[in-house]
Amino acid sequence: MSSDDNSVIIEIKNLKKHFKEVNAVDGISLNIRKGELFSILGPNGAGKTTLTRMLTTILTPTSGDATIKGFSILKNKDDIVRIIGVCPQDITIYDILRAEENVEFVASMHGMSKKDAREKTKKILGEFGIAGRKDWSKHFSGGMQRRLNLAMALVFEPEILFLDEPTAGLDPQARRLVWDFIGDLKRKDTTIILMTHDMVEAELLSDRIAIIDQGKIIAQGTPTELKEMYGSDNVLEISFFEQEHLELVKEKIAKISFITHWKEIDKDGNKSLLISFYGGLKNLISIIQQGFTGSIDNVEDLKFRQNSLEDVFLNLTGRRLRD
Amino acid sequence: MKILRNKAILIAIKNVKDKMRHWQYIFFSLGFPIMFTIMFYFIFGIEETPSGFTYFDFGFSGMIMYAIGLGTMNAAISFAGERNSGMLTRLDTMPTGRKNIFLGALISESLFLMFQIVIMFLMGYVILGLYFKGLLELFFGFLVAMLFGISSVGLGIIIASMSKNVQVANAFSLVVFMILIFLSGSLVPFESPIVYFTPPYWAKQIYLQLTIFGDGLNNNLYSSTFIGSSAKLIPIPIWGGLLIVLGYTTVFIFLGVIIFQKKTKF
Ligand SMILES: Nc1ncnc2c1ncn2[C@@H]1O[C@H](COP(=O)(O)OP(=O)(O)OP(=O)(O)O)[C@@H](O)[C@H]1O
Ligand SMILES: [Mg+2]
Repeated sequence: MSSDDNSVIIEIKNLKKHFKEVNAVDGISLNIRKGELFSILGPNGAGKTTLTRMLTTILTPTSGDATIKGFSILKNKDDIVRIIGVCPQDITIYDILRAEENVEFVASMHGMSKKDAREKTKKILGEFGIAGRKDWSKHFSGGMQRRLNLAMALVFEPEILFLDEPTAGLDPQARRLVWDFIGDLKRKDTTIILMTHDMVEAELLSDRIAIIDQGKIIAQGTPTELKEMYGSDNVLEISFFEQEHLELVKEKIAKISFITHWKEIDKDGNKSLLISFYGGLKNLISIIQQGFTGSIDNVEDLKFRQNSLEDVFLNLTGRRLRD
Repeated sequence: MKILRNKAILIAIKNVKDKMRHWQYIFFSLGFPIMFTIMFYFIFGIEETPSGFTYFDFGFSGMIMYAIGLGTMNAAISFAGERNSGMLTRLDTMPTGRKNIFLGALISESLFLMFQIVIMFLMGYVILGLYFKGLLELFFGFLVAMLFGISSVGLGIIIASMSKNVQVANAFSLVVFMILIFLSGSLVPFESPIVYFTPPYWAKQIYLQLTIFGDGLNNNLYSSTFIGSSAKLIPIPIWGGLLIVLGYTTVFIFLGVIIFQKKTKF
């Protein structure tokens, strides 16, 4: 994808939101291009929802600005709400209305004719597997309510879509359904901003990702670029019963050529070592032979896996996405 | 049917649906005026006053204003409820317009109020046989009651948009409503200049003189509910009183739109 400025549709300029207790969003700058699916990946409390609320005009920033299609979130709220669709993290539906009444109501607020609203509603509820339900949505299961919550953001086919954890609490099947649907939207050139703490979701759907933590962007790029930050296909995570073994191993692995990066992770005093390397199983065996001599009996836990965004986050912050 | 695609109307329709599906709400909003009318029937009694009317004939006007005042609370409570549900915030991410949300609520709450007034009319005039001058006069009385009703609902929504949550809205509106109704002399008639500062006094007095005496626009208003031989006239005619009620209604709607425009802080 080219990076010429014409294709930038959302421009976030040093946006901040400081609450009394925390700096929820602490100087985020980003350019999001037209038609891309941009994910903001971060753990609980990273500031995803706060960022979404500012971009969707319902929360006033402490400082900074952002423009969506040239409209400022500070000055042109009325223009912005016409072109964005928003799926809030908390399920927000009229629970005394039926599914189609909820969706049609939103469609009508976007100025759709009754006929259009009805057709689009029927179609989208069909695709989300809740068309058959004629009872009040307060009787729906949590997953169905979540799908309805999402359908309400999509019915008027917005150019720009903000999704704040749209698949949280869905079963794998429903998740897959929503992912497929988002994939279709991508093909229709909708710009999508996806807030998530789910690295599988981010990796699967995103064109680009910004990883945020404590209100700041700590890395950004395509999923591949991010995974290459520490330069390897595989990750070995290992912990020992006694700390001195960890120190010993650190010395030894420093000399191994196919290890591209390693990081000591300290979670409440439980230290472990995250080793990034290439070469798969064959090299894993060499690491164990060369690096762990004399320590093998002291291994408490050993995990070998494909390098993922979770490991990128772990390398960046020393914490897991879902601690 | 273009008007039916107006956003304020669509919101009102949604609100009405919402209310109709809460059976307790329906039960109380219908049961309440019935219960209320019967209660006051016994409180005021059907004793005749020297003028030939019963106390209840007179008192009914105040009761209607009292019932409408309660509509203020209803409006405040249901509006504060919607605000708390997070739906208001979601509506703010759509091209809905705060003005339409306010007007939608005003329309639906006023419709329910109208419903209650009609039921009280049926109870009072048809079943309990209260006196009224004529059907036309009664119709005008109804319009005055509705005008006051709309201003009350507007006030209720203003209270709700200034309250933090449903409980606050409930307490706040109860206080405002009780003070207004009591000071207006609608509940317990009394002679004091203070009544002239309350909207319900004007609505009640106009309603009373219209429906019982068939007074015209140029007749002056009396100072209080029980109009016997010692009753005092005030220097303001019915049309003046109407202007005052209309003024209150306009101000409350206008204020409501403005106050509600300022989005609630988060
Ligand atoms: N209205 C508020 N008042 C005070 N603090 C707030 C407010 N809203 C959010 N915060 C704080 O800001 C920080 C970021 O919260 P936010 O909801 O944006 O995180 P998030 O990334 O969406 O997390 P999650 O994955 O749990 O949804 C948190 O520490 C939160 O407690
Ligand atoms: Mg969140």
